[in-house]
Amino acid sequence: MRIKRLIIKNYRQFKQAEISFPKRHDTDLHFIIGTNGTGKTNILNAINWCLYGDEPHLSKESQTLPLINLKTVDKKGSERESEMAIEVWAEAEDHNLIYFIRKAKFLKTTSLEIERQGETFEVRYVDELGNTKIVQDESADVWVERFVPKNIREFFFFDGERLDHYFKEATGQNIRHAVFQISQLDLLENCIERKLQGILDDLRKEAGKANPKIESARTELERLKVLYEDFKKRFADFEGQIAIAKSNICEYDEKLKGVPDIIKLEEEREHNIEGLKNTKELLVTKQNEKKSYLLDAGKLVLLLPAINNTIKVILEKKNNKDFPPPIDKKVLEDVVQSGTCIICGQKVDEDSKKKINEMLLGIKTSSDSAIKLVQMEIPLNNFLEDTTHFKEQLDNYSQEIAQLEKLLSNLTERNNQIDKIMSGYNEDLVREWYSERSKFEDIRDKCQIDIGGFQVNIQRTEGELSEAQKVLDDELGKEIKVKELNKKLAFCEKSLEIARLTRERIMKETREKIENETRRQFFNLIWKRETFENIKINEDYSIHLFHKLGFECLGSVSAGEREMLALSFTLALHKASGFDSPILIDTPVARISDINRTNFGNVLCEVSTTKQIVLLLTPNEYSEELRTVLGGRASGRYKLILSSDETEAKVEVM
Amino acid sequence: MTKQPDRLSIEKSERKLYDNLDNEIFAGKTRKEQFLFALAVGFKHKLKRPLETREGVFLAKDLHPEDQMILDVVAIYDTGSIDVLTNQQQVFNIAEEYAHAGIRLIYDNVNSGQPGSYFKKMELDLIGMLKPGNN
Repeated sequence: MRIKRLIIKNYRQFKQAEISFPKRHDTDLHFIIGTNGTGKTNILNAINWCLYGDEPHLSKESQTLPLINLKTVDKKGSERESEMAIEVWAEAEDHNLIYFIRKAKFLKTTSLEIERQGETFEVRYVDELGNTKIVQDESADVWVERFVPKNIREFFFFDGERLDHYFKEATGQNIRHAVFQISQLDLLENCIERKLQGILDDLRKEAGKANPKIESARTELERLKVLYEDFKKRFADFEGQIAIAKSNICEYDEKLKGVPDIIKLEEEREHNIEGLKNTKELLVTKQNEKKSYLLDAGKLVLLLPAINNTIKVILEKKNNKDFPPPIDKKVLEDVVQSGTCIICGQKVDEDSKKKINEMLLGIKTSSDSAIKLVQMEIPLNNFLEDTTHFKEQLDNYSQEIAQLEKLLSNLTERNNQIDKIMSGYNEDLVREWYSERSKFEDIRDKCQIDIGGFQVNIQRTEGELSEAQKVLDDELGKEIKVKELNKKLAFCEKSLEIARLTRERIMKETREKIENETRRQFFNLIWKRETFENIKINEDYSIHLFHKLGFECLGSVSAGEREMLALSFTLALHKASGFDSPILIDTPVARISDINRTNFGNVLCEVSTTKQIVLLLTPNEYSEELRTVLGGRASGRYKLILSSDETEAKVEVM
Repeated sequence: MTKQPDRLSIEKSERKLYDNLDNEIFAGKTRKEQFLFALAVGFKHKLKRPLETREGVFLAKDLHPEDQMILDVVAIYDTGSIDVLTNQQQVFNIAEEYAHAGIRLIYDNVNSGQPGSYFKKMELDLIGMLKPGNN
């Protein structure tokens, strides 16, 4: 299927526009060229709105404006309805046309607000008998699903500038699901497998009527199946939540790219402020300790001449034996007191008493000085010893103080840096982004834990199911009455098994085809062919790009290279699936340099021989390289022109 | 027997110097410690000043043996005799006169307005004094 015509009436900047996409060459390639703001992306939005009722590529400015062309509403005046409509004419392989038409009515109120009054969606087609049929709403949606299913439209209508985000946002599960749908394997699952399962269930019920044991085994099997499906559903729900969380984390990562982690920086700043306070206190303490030491030990240094002098006197007196011999003062005092010598027993006269008293006085004086001096010797030497470590101790204090001063300086400098880093950002907004991202990280982590539990339950229930199935088969085998029924059951089970194996084999083959085609397209598109070695797509559809030197390099390649890989993958997906719907790419080569646009042109030329391709380009993108390769092959070229008052866009054939 | 002195004194009018230096360089130091440092500075500069009006600054009982030793070595050096050790009043007088001169030197130095902190200058002086040949 291809788009044959697009008709836009009163939609955003388009008052009336009609674009035909005739296929004139062997290629089905079309260009719509317009400068920024002329409505290229809104053509993509118009198609989306017509088919799905939404505009996924809307700019922030347009989000605040109504869908309808403002000029039209103004002209009509207040209290009068205006209608907007978009028609997509699709052409099937048999050249029959399918018309997708979505309309909406708007009313400008007296308070000058524009209100949407209603919306209709219908599909017109010609049936086998040649009669034109019109279907609406859900029946119309069925036709959209046949054309480009809503869930996988991002692989058909996409913004080239967003392609490089593709691998960041798309999870393996999303891609696997898309492959499943694009490859139309869901038909196999929905139509054949479910039908067969239904027949199988009916046959078992019938068999159950013949024997209560069969009925009991069947009931148990049914119960386990319900349980199993419930676990699988909840597992899928968690997978979905993880995917949403991951996608949101990517979105915030993108917003926060290059933006400092303000929460962490603030924490660091707070931590530094605390560190500064403690370090300052420690510094003051250390400086005071040093001052105190300077006063205490410095006092001894100042007194060194006096200390040395006393030590010298002590040594001299020791050497000269000047210190008096120890005399028992008590004995002399007792002699004076009693008047009798207690050693020889003789009486002591007054002259002798006088002499003994004089001796006593002399002994006292010289002994006290001597005792003091002797007692001073060791402490004075200790003083001397202390002064020898004076400089070393001072150096230790100085080093510790210098270290603390350096730490203070580093902390202050770091906080100045943090202030400088944070000064250019809206702190509240960035904090909110970080907080939101953190919430999604928590959701992801929690779901990842919970999902593990379901995985265990699924595995356990699989075992129980297998066992219950065996019990049922045994009971069925025993019952002669259900012999014929058994044959049917066995056939049904075998058919179901074959259908499942077929689906798995197709999935595997599709994946291999996609891998090969992605590789082929990528090496056609890419300009650094000597840099990359290989592309691998795992069973979970995670994509890996390998450098020539053997390492995985998807995370480190440029945005342009990532875009080329995403494009290769998308093209491969289309080719492998056999899905023939068109591809529309907005700004496909904005990030690709001129020389490499030649590769891009050649690849798209090749693809457009089997598939309709519509490129929405800026004049800059439609460079000489692209014109040379694609210009002559294009079936249609349109130019978007904005009116002089910049309120209306028109489409002109180039 | 001679009565033992019970306190050490400073010049009454110079108490304010001690008070001022409390916040400058003597933060956290007791009057006794301040007095002993002033004594050491006066001794270093060989300067003594007799006290005219005395005012007790701390009690003799608060002197530790190490503190007493400092007073004693200064007195021995000053008198050239160990006999001074038996005359505590003389030992105290010598200490008081050196401290009297010392506190004024410290005060003048702290308030000299010269660049660099008192401690920095003191550190350099003390390290210089410890170099071989300087003592």
